[in-house]
Amino acid sequence: MNKIKKHSAVLFLLPGLLGFTVFYILPFFISLGYAFTDKAVNGTFQGMKNFVDLFHNKAYLKGLFNTCKFIAVSVPLNMGAALGLSLMAKGIKKRKDLFTLVFLIPLVIPSGSMAFFWSSLFADQGVLNGWLNMLGIGKVRWLDSGTAFWIMVLIFTWKNLGYSMVLYIDGLNRIPHDYYEAAWIDGAGAGDIFRGIILPLLQPASILVLIMSLINSFKVFKEIYMITGGYPHDSIYTLQHFMNNMFASLNYPKLTTATAVLVTVMTVFSQFLLKLERKASS
Amino acid sequence: MTLNKRFLAVPALILLGLLFLLPLVVTFSNSLMSEAEIIQNYTAKPDTFDLTDGIIERFKRFRLIPERVTLKQYYEVLLKQPSFMILMGNSLKIVIPVTIGSLIVSMLTAYGFTVWEWKYKEILFQVYVIVMLMPLQAVLVPNYIIADMLHIKDSYLAIILPGIFSPFGVFLMRQAMKSVPAAYFEAARIDGAGNLYIFLHIIVPQLKSSGAALCMLVFIEYWNLVEQAVVFIRDYAKEPLSVYLSRIAEGKMGLVFAASCIYMFLPLWFLVAGQKNLEKGIELSGVKQ
Repeated sequence: MNKIKKHSAVLFLLPGLLGFTVFYILPFFISLGYAFTDKAVNGTFQGMKNFVDLFHNKAYLKGLFNTCKFIAVSVPLNMGAALGLSLMAKGIKKRKDLFTLVFLIPLVIPSGSMAFFWSSLFADQGVLNGWLNMLGIGKVRWLDSGTAFWIMVLIFTWKNLGYSMVLYIDGLNRIPHDYYEAAWIDGAGAGDIFRGIILPLLQPASILVLIMSLINSFKVFKEIYMITGGYPHDSIYTLQHFMNNMFASLNYPKLTTATAVLVTVMTVFSQFLLKLERKASS
Repeated sequence: MTLNKRFLAVPALILLGLLFLLPLVVTFSNSLMSEAEIIQNYTAKPDTFDLTDGIIERFKRFRLIPERVTLKQYYEVLLKQPSFMILMGNSLKIVIPVTIGSLIVSMLTAYGFTVWEWKYKEILFQVYVIVMLMPLQAVLVPNYIIADMLHIKDSYLAIILPGIFSPFGVFLMRQAMKSVPAAYFEAARIDGAGNLYIFLHIIVPQLKSSGAALCMLVFIEYWNLVEQAVVFIRDYAKEPLSVYLSRIAEGKMGLVFAASCIYMFLPLWFLVAGQKNLEKGIELSGVKQ
């Protein structure tokens, strides 16, 4: 009897799993065929050639490098800033909800208006250069130089800080209040409490924030593309630009090869993430 | 707490907050301007008058207070041009099924993952996580292939169905279910409750706030959807409004800001309402433990 009940749980999983297989797994394996052929239509099999070519493709390597660099800079920055602001939010007594709401607002602004704002600000004849001009400083080519990378970091942080804050505030609220009090009574300082209580107990939340920041770091492409198009300055040409341009030019073999490589990387990475997660929640 | 620190921190925070609000403020103030004023503010080419005045270089300007406040944009969008309302209706036709569908599917699937005992369960879950981590650009080709095979390429279903079965919701709900104490399940099972009973009467009420959070996130994501619609929807009249708004730079600048503000209203309202729900849910679960 009990055994039947335990196995009836599979019925809950099945509809979702079926849809997931049909819409993600199955078509992925069908598309994988492209990675081993030369053309999308009537292509001939050519073994691993696409993979070898991919790693000699300058545009791909540039995109890969920039994406890695962007993740390495923006994800820790976002996590640190979100944690700091969440701790502050916890200290605020009045209008705490208003405080977090301010940081959540960027999430709801239509991407079009957002892109319009940032491009008006940073364009060559944009608002920022107008201010500099008034101060007698010459024009800076914000989007056509190395500074573009930092603008991408800024836009990502601006858009995702609130999201991460909510996750951290939730995590902080789950830490029982007695813990702090006990530590205070024992004479622990603010730094000790942060290192000894907050950081370790906040680990599950941190991992969630890490995963979400990573996913959202890929999504910043939408706004960046609207601001600078498919072929931006070298410093912000990401893996998504490469993939998007391959999709637009119907170059499925190259795109699918890049996807297959990414899946391999993510398989290793997800293993690491899940291990970290299991360790944190136990 | 030391007073000095607070005196420094508060203005710094207010400044930071204003910086976060600036794009919203600019969009809103632009929505109260006439088209002529907007064009004047955002055109960087010097015109003949400038040249006679000796101005050779012009820059775009953010004007926070319109020279003359006018509701003309809102009047046009809401009353004179029904196309905006049609496009907004298209957005709703996509976002409502995705939000409701993904909530139901994610909760069921996550429950399955929590309760079902199978040796390879965690490997299966890892597949979900891998797909979840993939950028949209990597998923577009598979999406396109399956839409083509099922003959739903030019319909909203090509966007809605992958949205409903997206792995993100399953991941989020499974994380949330981990916080429900195992004792709850055991007690119910000893009392002879079946899985359906446990799911409906124990899990769903416990996960109200997480479910609300998921709905909010999915709603915001699909309300602002651009890329998938560009790929799948070829008919301009069937486009969601978010796609129209993303072409802001081409042409009708004069109406886009009012349309943006109207478009923002719904997710903003959700955010304000959902946020209260979120905090309530957290407090409640804290009391019960």
